[in-house]
Amino acid sequence: MVTNITKTVTIYIDDVSYQVPAGANLVDAAKALGNDIPVFCYHPKMSPVGMCRMCLVELGSIEKDRATGEVVLDDKGQPKVRWFPKLQTACTTNVSDGMTVRTNTKQVDQARENVVEFLLTSHPLDCPVCDKGGECPLQNLTMEHGPGKTRMNFADKMHLDKHVPLGDLIFLDEERCIQCARCIRFQDEVAGDDVLAFHERGRSLQIITNSEPGFDSYFSGNTTDICPVGALTTADFRFGARPWELTNVPSICPQCPVGCNTSLSTRLDRDAGGRAIIKRVMPRQNEQVNEIWICDKGRFGHHFSRGADRLQIPMTGNAPASLTRALQVAADKLKAAGSDVAVIAGSSMSNEDLWALKQLANGLGSERLGAWPPTHAGADLVAQVGVGKGTNLSALGKGDAVLIIASDLEEEAPVWRLRINQARKRGAIVVVANARKTQMDEFASETATFEYGEAPKFMADIEASDLGKKLAAANNLIILTGADGLTLVESRALMQSAANFLIKTGHIGKANNGLMSAFPGSNAMGLYYMGFTPEATLDIAQKPPKVLIVAQSDLIADDPSVGEWLTKVETIISLTLFNDALAGLATVALPIQSFAERDGTFVNGERRVQRFYTAQGPIGEATPAWQVAGRIGELLGQGKVKLSAAAVMLDITKSVPAFEGARYKELAHVEPQFPMIQKDVYYGGTAYENTGGLGVQIPTAADQGETLNVGEVFVPETPKVGKGKMLIIPTQVLYNRERTFQSSELMHPRVADPYAEINSADAKRLNINNGDMVEIAIAGASAIRVRAQVDGRAPKGAVILPRHLATNAVPLTATVGSISKVGQAAVVEG
Amino acid sequence: MDLIKGFRTTFKHVLQEPVTIQYPEQEKPFQERFKGRHELKRYDNGLEKCIGCSLCAAACPADAIWVEASENTDEERYSPGERYAKTYEINMLRCIFCGYCEDACPTEAIVLTQEHRLSFTNRRDAIYTKDMLIVPPPEGTEGSPQQVEPGKFNRPIPDMENPK
Ligand code: SF4
Ligand code: SF4
Ligand code: FES
Repeated sequence: MVTNITKTVTIYIDDVSYQVPAGANLVDAAKALGNDIPVFCYHPKMSPVGMCRMCLVELGSIEKDRATGEVVLDDKGQPKVRWFPKLQTACTTNVSDGMTVRTNTKQVDQARENVVEFLLTSHPLDCPVCDKGGECPLQNLTMEHGPGKTRMNFADKMHLDKHVPLGDLIFLDEERCIQCARCIRFQDEVAGDDVLAFHERGRSLQIITNSEPGFDSYFSGNTTDICPVGALTTADFRFGARPWELTNVPSICPQCPVGCNTSLSTRLDRDAGGRAIIKRVMPRQNEQVNEIWICDKGRFGHHFSRGADRLQIPMTGNAPASLTRALQVAADKLKAAGSDVAVIAGSSMSNEDLWALKQLANGLGSERLGAWPPTHAGADLVAQVGVGKGTNLSALGKGDAVLIIASDLEEEAPVWRLRINQARKRGAIVVVANARKTQMDEFASETATFEYGEAPKFMADIEASDLGKKLAAANNLIILTGADGLTLVESRALMQSAANFLIKTGHIGKANNGLMSAFPGSNAMGLYYMGFTPEATLDIAQKPPKVLIVAQSDLIADDPSVGEWLTKVETIISLTLFNDALAGLATVALPIQSFAERDGTFVNGERRVQRFYTAQGPIGEATPAWQVAGRIGELLGQGKVKLSAAAVMLDITKSVPAFEGARYKELAHVEPQFPMIQKDVYYGGTAYENTGGLGVQIPTAADQGETLNVGEVFVPETPKVGKGKMLIIPTQVLYNRERTFQSSELMHPRVADPYAEINSADAKRLNINNGDMVEIAIAGASAIRVRAQVDGRAPKGAVILPRHLATNAVPLTATVGSISKVGQAAVVEG
Repeated sequence: MDLIKGFRTTFKHVLQEPVTIQYPEQEKPFQERFKGRHELKRYDNGLEKCIGCSLCAAACPADAIWVEASENTDEERYSPGERYAKTYEINMLRCIFCGYCEDACPTEAIVLTQEHRLSFTNRRDAIYTKDMLIVPPPEGTEGSPQQVEPGKFNRPIPDMENPK
């Protein structure tokens, strides 16, 4: 798969000579030349296995004289070819100089026909009811190469189970499986979760899952894309539409900082009142961002965009109002407040929205722009020493290193975890440093631990350690931080120390080097570029303004302490997707559109500005947030509201230097990528060709040779934990009960019941057994009841408390509290 | 002379059988291949033949058919196999009665009958829903959905003809 572009060799395909990269896979090389060698088991992202025999070709090499190295000529003066006596599998062949291939002979045609006929012997031929029908490699290659007629008696066909749930999300149809092992190999080689396997042999061979719960992987949906038949289908799409009826709209996943490129397949729907709705989410190829993969949260988490809890009509003082009236009330309140106004914006809002909100606040004379949630600091440092322009995690390999610190990456940014695991497999050193054991340790080549609160110190002192020396010596180094167990101040200190280390060791300002952070949401970097900071949020909490605009931030569900200061705000104007608790408190609640209903852009964790398009009809009277802010501004005499998201972006590109070159047209630019994912699903699967744009990466200050300013590192004291108290560490889990995920009902069985992990020593001391109901008390917040999980992963003295699992809000950042038992495991069971 | 010629033709026709008939009192039999309003057929056991595959909609040159599918269970079974049509609609104002849907159907579920008396007073009424299109269940069967013996109806196309 990895090709050495610098050296080329000459090969002959069907008697025409070509120059191809030395060592390239023959199937890939031929594909690039426009010769499609049919394959079933081969996939350009995985190592070949030669199992299906569909790719058989005539293979030979030009004979050379052993002694002289001269090409031997036949009696016609043509170079003599030594052919293999039998057909060879192209997928297991790498090109070499003088290789001669024939793909259009009778023998090859016959072989292809025979392989297809064999594969179809027990195929159920139920294409009409198959979700893959219409974009099925088996269907297409049968049409192209198959015999056209069957010789099988239908009574002789094997009848197997057609409905085997491999877990809650993926169904297996045993009759359709052609046993190519793409799914098994994907899970093992690419995802790194080896949860599928072959069972039995011969005609009884079947796919099974060996995990509990079944198919326990965050990447399971990808197997349905690469399965060359309809054997694996998702529970979400199941019979949702036929592929040819779908309109595919390029989009960006709004769930995490990876910013996976997706394709929203929409279709009109009777139950949705005849509107176009998302039927499924498919990956869209962007080799620099997500390759051709997405995680299951991105794939199945789209239901919130049509959730029953979406706010549909504007509200003033909890009563429905017309949009004009609601906007007028908002404008009046803002006018009365003068400049005593602040904005808190969520980390999954688009740049256009943020820009319009900023204009509104600035127009009133306020610079108080807070980012939500205020957990991760240091976006400014990512803008300075972030990964260099042109960074591609797929380029990391031998001699390179990645340090993941204070992050449970699998839970925070799954596709980064997948790609970094692959970098490790290619030989990169992956160091996972954290205060607790996480799933990520499994994908590390080395782990390091420190006490909770010590992460900034660990990073500051790393230089002197062996580990630090090893990292410094790496060809390319990426440091990926999180904020696991850190306060905002500690998070800043960690980012600063990481930046300093990168600067000192020269790992900045070039591709595949620099700083990344698993920020919350899909546009935390956009928040930074638009001038919203988490520090400002804390300041707003300290000195509440008269009027607070809260945009797409679920303050009450995210943070138990907001109640203290939110009551001091006179007027809350809520721009919200959902009819949530805050909308109830707000003087004006304005429904805004989700990512699926409008155009916009996000900036991902690698600072790539990416564009998403309108896919779904609007919900109720929801309008895009940039329009809401713009119209309020208009009422306040701040100038006319922009006519489109593109016009807002044009404004941004003129005013924000980082966005220069990020006009919609430029964001929509596409270039050929390897592997060539096109409409021919047989090769790459049903990941979609990128037609919506590859995005534009914002250069860092280091890339441009500007002076860097990391600032004085302030390493705060580790908080003192009083006697009888524990450190409460809020953490992030991918599958949770946030509103942006809760509507995906099919995921509910996968969302854990509220739990807290504690160390066995602590558990013994407090007389808590695994499974007991415990209560966690934190000053200023209502008690949180969860089940104790005593599993040895939590460090001593700490309670690991995942956010957004329990109904009561969990603190945003690490704090001190106490834990006590309130019920026995057995008693509260059920 | 020409005048006489002309009248001769007229008189000849006066004596012939008239080709017009008094519709609706009188009706003329149709050609066997006449295509009229559609019907969705059932199997003898009352299950629907339609499996919701949308091939008719794909074949329709006038884009008159709308199908939305859903999943069968043995507790609530509409058709054999896993899939059935949750929504099946034909817009009779769009339909050109070409019968391509009938050709495309893998289960012979959609059939064009000879019924041609279609009239509507508004556009909405021209959309024939599944309830209107499906034939009543054969006598003695409960129609669909029915609760069936698990595993009995797991093939969408019950009898496939062997190759000759
Ligand atoms: S389920 Fe699909 S991907 Fe897996 S072995 Fe069978 S045909 Fe291949
Ligand atoms: S990894 Fe992140 S961006 Fe990608 S699909 Fe999953 S949640 Fe979405
Ligand atoms: S054997 Fe080459 S593609 Fe399967």
